[in-house]
Formats: sequence, C-alpha cells, structure tokens
Amino acid sequence: MFNFAGLVMNENMKIYRRARTWVMLGIMLLLVLCISVGTRLIATNLPSMWSVFNWESVVGFLLITVFTTIVAAGSVADEFTTGTIKLLLIRPWSRSKILLSKYISVLLFALLQTVLLYLFLLALNALLFGYDNSAASDSIAPFYKGTAAVYFIQYFFYHFISLIVTATMAFMISAVFRSGGLAIGLSLFLILIVNSFVGLFAILNYAWVDYLLFIHLDLVQYLNGTPLREGMTLGFSLAVLGIYYVVFVALTWFVFNKRDVAA
Amino acid sequence: MMVGLMSLTGGEIKIDGYSITKQYQKAIRNVGAIVENPEMYKYLSGYQNLIHFARMIPDISDERIEEVVKLVGLGARIHDKVRTYSLGMRQRLGVAQAILHRPKLLILDEPTNGLDPAGIRELRDYLRQLAKDEGISIFVSSHLLAEMELMCDRVAIIQNGKLIDVRSIKQQSDDQAESRRFIFEVGNVVEAIAIMARLGHPAEADGQSAAIAVEADRELVAKLNAAFVEGGVSVYGIRAQSKSLEDQFLEMTGGEQIV
Repeated sequence: MFNFAGLVMNENMKIYRRARTWVMLGIMLLLVLCISVGTRLIATNLPSMWSVFNWESVVGFLLITVFTTIVAAGSVADEFTTGTIKLLLIRPWSRSKILLSKYISVLLFALLQTVLLYLFLLALNALLFGYDNSAASDSIAPFYKGTAAVYFIQYFFYHFISLIVTATMAFMISAVFRSGGLAIGLSLFLILIVNSFVGLFAILNYAWVDYLLFIHLDLVQYLNGTPLREGMTLGFSLAVLGIYYVVFVALTWFVFNKRDVAA
Repeated sequence: MMVGLMSLTGGEIKIDGYSITKQYQKAIRNVGAIVENPEMYKYLSGYQNLIHFARMIPDISDERIEEVVKLVGLGARIHDKVRTYSLGMRQRLGVAQAILHRPKLLILDEPTNGLDPAGIRELRDYLRQLAKDEGISIFVSSHLLAEMELMCDRVAIIQNGKLIDVRSIKQQSDDQAESRRFIFEVGNVVEAIAIMARLGHPAEADGQSAAIAVEADRELVAKLNAAFVEGGVSVYGIRAQSKSLEDQFLEMTGGEQIV
C-alpha cells in the first residue's frame, strides 16, 4: 500500500481550502468571544470563569455539531453533485479507502473544532475573569469530584463521542442519498428537533425507549449524575451508541462500494 | 463501465492484461480518463487540483506536474481558481489530470462537448500528438461523427448496445481511391453528357448546379477531362465526392432513431 496519508491530505485540502470552513470556525469563536466580553462588561457581580465556560460550551457544541454535520454531509455528496466523484474513483484505490480517507478527514475536523473550542474558552475566560482552580462542585457540577478544568476535559470528551456518532450518521446519509442538502437537513432535524423531545420520550415507560439513539447522545448526563432514565449507566449508553455506530458505518461502506456511478 | 464506475452486465474487460473487476487497481493504473465534462474542484486552483490527483498515484514528481501544465498550455493561469476558468481551460485541465501518470490508455467521453471551434481543433491536434509522441492509445466516445472522422484512426459503431462495425478511417479512404464518384463542373451540361455518352459512360446531371456526376477511377477522370476540352466544353472544376462517416453511419444503422 502506498501513501494513504496522501488521500487524507487531499480530503483535508478540500475542507480547509474552502472559505465556508473558515467562516464556520470564525462564527464559533466570534460568538463565544461576544458572550464572554458581553458578560464581562454588563455583569455587576462577576461570575466565575467556569460558569461562563459552561454556558459557552453548550452553545459551542451546538455549533460544532451543526458545522461537523455540514462538512460530513458535503464530504461525499458534493463529489456526486459536482461530478468529481468519477475522477476520484478512477484511480488505483479501492472505494473503501477513498471513503475511509473522507471519513478520517471529517473526524479530524470535528476533533480540531473541539480542541480549538476548549483552548479558546480556557484562554479567553481565564483572561477576562481570572483563572480559578476551584473544584467543579463549587460552580457547575455538584456531584463531580475534581477541578473544573478536568471536569471540562471530560465534558468535551463525552461530547466528542456523541459528535462522532452524529457525524457518522450525516456521513452515512450523505453517502447513501448522495444529496448534501438532504444529509444536512435530515441530520440536523434528527439532532435538534428530536433532541428537544428526548425529555418526553424519556418519561415513557417502555423498554424499547432504552435503545433509542437520542436518549444516549447526551453523555454529559452521567457527569452530572442525572441520567435521563432511571437505571441507565454510562456503559450501557456507550454500548448502544457503539451498535448504532457499527450499523451506520457498515451501511455506508456497503452502499458506497456497491453503487454504480452513472456517467 | 470500462473504468469500473458501473458494474458489468456481462463479459469481461481487460486493460493491459488485467481484469477490471478482479484486479481493479492494477488495471486502472494505466488508464487516464475524462468522463463527460471535466469536473474539477472549483474552489481549488488548477494546480491544487493536479496535486490532488497526483497524490492518488505513486511517484508523481513536482516536475511532472510542471511538465503537464506546460504541455496543455495552462502555465499562466494554473494558480488561479478553477471557478474562473473557461470551458476550454477546464477541458485542458481535465486532459492534464488524465495524462499526469503517463497512462497507456486514455479514455475520453465526449471530449469536444462545449468547446469552441478553436478549442476543438486544439484538443484534436493535441490528442494526435500525444498518441504519436507518448505512444498512448486513446479511446474516444462521441456522437459527433465529423469530428471523429478527423480525430480517429479507427471507429467502432454501436447501436442499441450492440457493436455493429469496426473500421479504419484511413483504409477506407484508400479503398475509395480506386473508383468513386466525381463531380465535373462544366460550362455546358447537355454537351458534356453527350460527349460522355459517345465514350460509352453513363452520366447524370448533378441537380443543383452546372455539374455532372460520374463513377470513375483516376485514369478515366483524366480521359474524360481531355475529351471535354477537345469537345469544346469548359471544365471549371473536378472534385471527388467521398462518403462521410455520417453517410456510412446512416447507411449502416439504417437511419433508425438512435436512442
């Protein structure tokens, strides 16, 4: 096997050479900047840096989810829309590897955003509100043992896992339906709309509700010690996510490898 | 189908001895292709597009990229975004990505689609030169018969998915050199036909103009010309009427509706 890294570099080039990627990153950073600065200017009673951090990570992850979905959805579908898929596939590479390189580049983009958001929030809020090394239980998570900085590393990590599942779903829809718009619309619909009904679902007393993807997408519930449904554990949630993940990936690969690319 | 984008309904395709289904990566290694319009990444520059495709094939040096860029004459604009390219330039960039890895077989689907006359000519000359200098076989599919006549050495005609005929363009014009239809432009058609009759050759007036049409070989043409001049009929022009590929195509396919 020769240079597989080259394929990933290609996909990265296609992500970062587009203006939209930088617009998205810019929006994210600008928004949290505005929140921090705004709070600093308006607040009479300065909040701790971690509570600001907390609000902003909620907003930040909402944006990251949307942006990752957009990129994941475009990754395969755009190639079909523009017709470049034909040029891409007639190279001495198997379709699986081409798909894998796309998938990796999407995950790298998700990772980049997550790390960027964390570092930016940390630096910004420490600067504006003063660094404080207090325990997380002081301000944000009453049941958490450990400092707030560590809490948020774990918080981001859990969110990143959900992000991977979401991105994989968008990627699957993109590869299966070959339409970027549909992939973006459907994924966002599922994530944003269904998530607001998750609370309702969670009250339902049926066994099958335990296996719904959306109940498990929010892993942070375990950090705060307030699971949506009684008796759910982190391990169980991860197992359910894992099964969905495998199904998504298998379906994506199967469809992409079998498909005729009509001229 | 030939490049593995669609699965085969039957039979087998071998490129350079490798089956396209079983040894895809080896088979495709020697192929360069443009499928329909040369779609490139519009938000990248031409050069980045080439880098992109070069990365997918082992051992493409930067010099090779430069060389190809020069070859297709995009030197001045290669670092501009593809979005700003004209169709002809995109077509040339398409050719560039197809020959980047020195393929043995170049497959082009409707390569002259949307090109202006100058662009078509340029592409044709360029492909001919490639075939001659780099020893590349070029496989072109098109419905523009006149263009194919100029571009190709051999044509295959496919109707309703069945191969009807394969023939060589050059050979066919040689064959016809023996006896074909000649048009004489003459001053007096009636007189000319009379002379012809006297020599024992049937001739007919060619509808639209002061001309007659004769089936003849080269010798006979010269003889007829002499006879006309002797008989006081002015001859303004003699030309051979060759059947175009289009005529042959219609003959062969019976002029049916081609879907």
